[in-house]
Amino acid sequence: MTWRVVHLDLSREAPPVDPAEGHAFIVFWWGSLPLGAEAFVPEELPLSQDQILTLAGRFAAKQLAARGPSLGGVPEAGRDGRVELEPTLADIRACRGASAVLDALAADPQTPADDVSVIVCTRGRPKLLRSCLAALDAQRAPPGEIIVVDNSESGDAQVVSAHFRRVRHLHEKRPGLSVARNTGVAAATRPIIAFTDDDVEVDPGWTGQVARAFASAPEADAITGLVLPASLSTPAQRFYELQLGGFGTGYVPVRFGSRFRSEGLNHGLQVWRLGAGANMAFRRETFMRVGLFDERLGAGAAGCSEDSELWYRILADGGSCLYEPRAVVHHHHRPDWGGLEEQMQAYMRGHVAALGAQYLRYRHRGNLRRIGLQLPQYFLRVALRALRDGSSDHMRLLLPQVRGWWGGLTLVLRPGWRRSHAVPQLSDHGDPLVRRSSQSRSPVRRPVTTSLGERSEQSA
Amino acid sequence: MPYRIVDLELSEPLPELVPEGVEDGFALVGRWHGRPVGFTLQPVPPGGTLSPRALRQAVEREFTRKVLALEVEAELSGRWPHPDPGPAPSLTVAVCTKDRPQGLARLLESLEVLRPASPFRSLEVLVVDNASADAATREVVGDFVGVRYVEEPRVGLDFARNAALRTAAGDLLAFLDDDVVVDSGWLDGLYAAWSDYPNAGGYTGLVLPLRLDSSAQIEFERRGGFGRGFTRIHHRGAKMHNALHPVGVGVVGAGCNMAFDRRLLDRLGGFDEALDTGAPLPGGGDLDIFYRVIRAGRTIVYEPGFTVFHEHRETLNQLRRQYWSWGLGFMAFLTKCRRTDPALHPRHSAMLRWWFVDKTMGFVKASVQLRPGRARMIAAEIRGGIQGLLGEYDRSLERSRRIREGVA
Repeated sequence: MTWRVVHLDLSREAPPVDPAEGHAFIVFWWGSLPLGAEAFVPEELPLSQDQILTLAGRFAAKQLAARGPSLGGVPEAGRDGRVELEPTLADIRACRGASAVLDALAADPQTPADDVSVIVCTRGRPKLLRSCLAALDAQRAPPGEIIVVDNSESGDAQVVSAHFRRVRHLHEKRPGLSVARNTGVAAATRPIIAFTDDDVEVDPGWTGQVARAFASAPEADAITGLVLPASLSTPAQRFYELQLGGFGTGYVPVRFGSRFRSEGLNHGLQVWRLGAGANMAFRRETFMRVGLFDERLGAGAAGCSEDSELWYRILADGGSCLYEPRAVVHHHHRPDWGGLEEQMQAYMRGHVAALGAQYLRYRHRGNLRRIGLQLPQYFLRVALRALRDGSSDHMRLLLPQVRGWWGGLTLVLRPGWRRSHAVPQLSDHGDPLVRRSSQSRSPVRRPVTTSLGERSEQSA
Repeated sequence: MPYRIVDLELSEPLPELVPEGVEDGFALVGRWHGRPVGFTLQPVPPGGTLSPRALRQAVEREFTRKVLALEVEAELSGRWPHPDPGPAPSLTVAVCTKDRPQGLARLLESLEVLRPASPFRSLEVLVVDNASADAATREVVGDFVGVRYVEEPRVGLDFARNAALRTAAGDLLAFLDDDVVVDSGWLDGLYAAWSDYPNAGGYTGLVLPLRLDSSAQIEFERRGGFGRGFTRIHHRGAKMHNALHPVGVGVVGAGCNMAFDRRLLDRLGGFDEALDTGAPLPGGGDLDIFYRVIRAGRTIVYEPGFTVFHEHRETLNQLRRQYWSWGLGFMAFLTKCRRTDPALHPRHSAMLRWWFVDKTMGFVKASVQLRPGRARMIAAEIRGGIQGLLGEYDRSLERSRRIREGVA
């Protein structure tokens, strides 16, 4: 079974001829504006012109409803991170020239990206890193700087980084993605700090879109963007993208702010709906305000969710985030099934750990409810559905997730883990990295600087 | 109790909706320049009205995004040259009826309105009288000019459908049940679907309620009715998002409103007369023909503009019986598929499991939510399913053989 990821541009004057055959994941674009994606089995292909029209209508209507100048601003997420797109009757009656509006939305941003530092944390994947850096090197709006934080023992990413003139290579020996990210932030010099991963190729317009998103949303503390699959050649990659939904958060922009916070606080803020660490950016001043990544979380520590836990702090402290799907990256999903199982276990472990950390910091009970009630319910639902559909793959992935849940729980229940001081502060004077208690809600007057040795004890 | 069905033309100012008498609410059919774009039930509190604001909100929640999609489609189809579908086909509309002269007259009237503006090369209307007890059906047909009357003495919907197939002359052959009324856009909707995709083996369309006067009719709509949505869909031999397709072929459409390439039906040998044999097995024939058209490698296009209004069952007993018959008909159909189409055997088995687990889960859910009415409907469907599995198709084969011999 071969699968292809096909990109189809609907903005051309001629009817698009669907080139897909075999299995295909088709991403529909209007120029550089991503409209939507659908997966097809061979029997459904090629798409006829009326099918493409139907899809174009559905996708474009969502774009116009979410972004059209006359149709209201970027919609706000509700509790579940979703938006209701309800164009007004007056607007649809007056709607003319949809393709001109789409053309305007697809226009390349004019904002330069000098203000953007891009940080790539990597660990022992030189081949992927090379494609990642090549994509960053080919940006239409080049970023102000590119920092590779090499989290390997040996520092072998240096060889790859050296191929790219504009790349700064830092070696962070202490393991953990959060540690590496924090090292990157401390070294970054620009007011906007964007992250991508070494298994990602960013779209040529990515940095420009990130810069524009921040310029157009002065209130936003953080931006996230669309993560598309770079390829779907293995069953594990397809399962992750097509059955588990990938990293997907959709093709329309979403504001995460006061509505998301007030509707969700009692049930637990569903911050994982904001996006993914493979495509996210922050203002430097936001790090100064809410602190850096929690070093107990993330790959190499609890597993993941260092990204969403930071969004949680931003939102809980009254800030806001913007999901802007025009900022596109292409992610190489884990190709092997074993890797996928490991990943799902790590995700769940990190997720539970992050929920624990969020509860300890804010005492929002929704986090406990999610650990104790919602997640077990979710496991049960998956099991029932797998039974009904006879899906052994869903069953196979359930066990690692339950194991991850248990692993996260044991972490959270460990007093030493709870007490560890793992959220460093960013300081503009002296040592840029300052650690202090992770549990204090209000800023501690006297920051405690710890030595590197102490920290490795904490994360152990 | 009743919900009034209201046509809302969204390109014009919205009307004021005040419930009359005992009306509980409104069933809104949203349209954009005539084409249906959505359907929603809007209850009204006792003694209250549907305020203009509430109406507008309902419209914006349910309909406006679809309108926007239609506008984009219209604009893009202007940019992209349309492939030439060739000369317009001729169409035969066959109405199979048994002892329902009033319903038949209502349907023929709605067809007569459309006739003068038909986009088809020619249009033939055919009534197949399936052994009605008296002459009323024949008399109704006599009242209409240019409607052909054919008798089929062997009782069974698929005997009647095959009788239509034998005498129809059209390139396309549409079937309508005698409990529907066609919408003003029915012919144009079918024509649009054909001209966009002339190679399809069949076309199905939207089925909306004709009236919602009884609690059975309202309950049926609440559970989704015949709703297949307001977006065109091409149904082919497999689907990404439904591993069981085309075995779960009910999503394709409903037998009360379907059309086919007539020559394809001829090649396939017409409908299976062992299904739809009236009272003992009143269903399954539509599923079977959709399945065989798709398995013959042809597409069935669902087109929402190709709309009829269906008179739902009046009483809860009738509705329960209908659910029972769907379970029965579906399992008879599945039994036949397992016998005739070994290539898809794994999908048939998976469907069997899916169906029973899904219905059981639905039953448990309805019971937990303390909705005994709904639980009893699902129980009836499960009962029908079990009965259908226990040799109903063979019994029905035998029955249809006797009917054939009895008349011959």
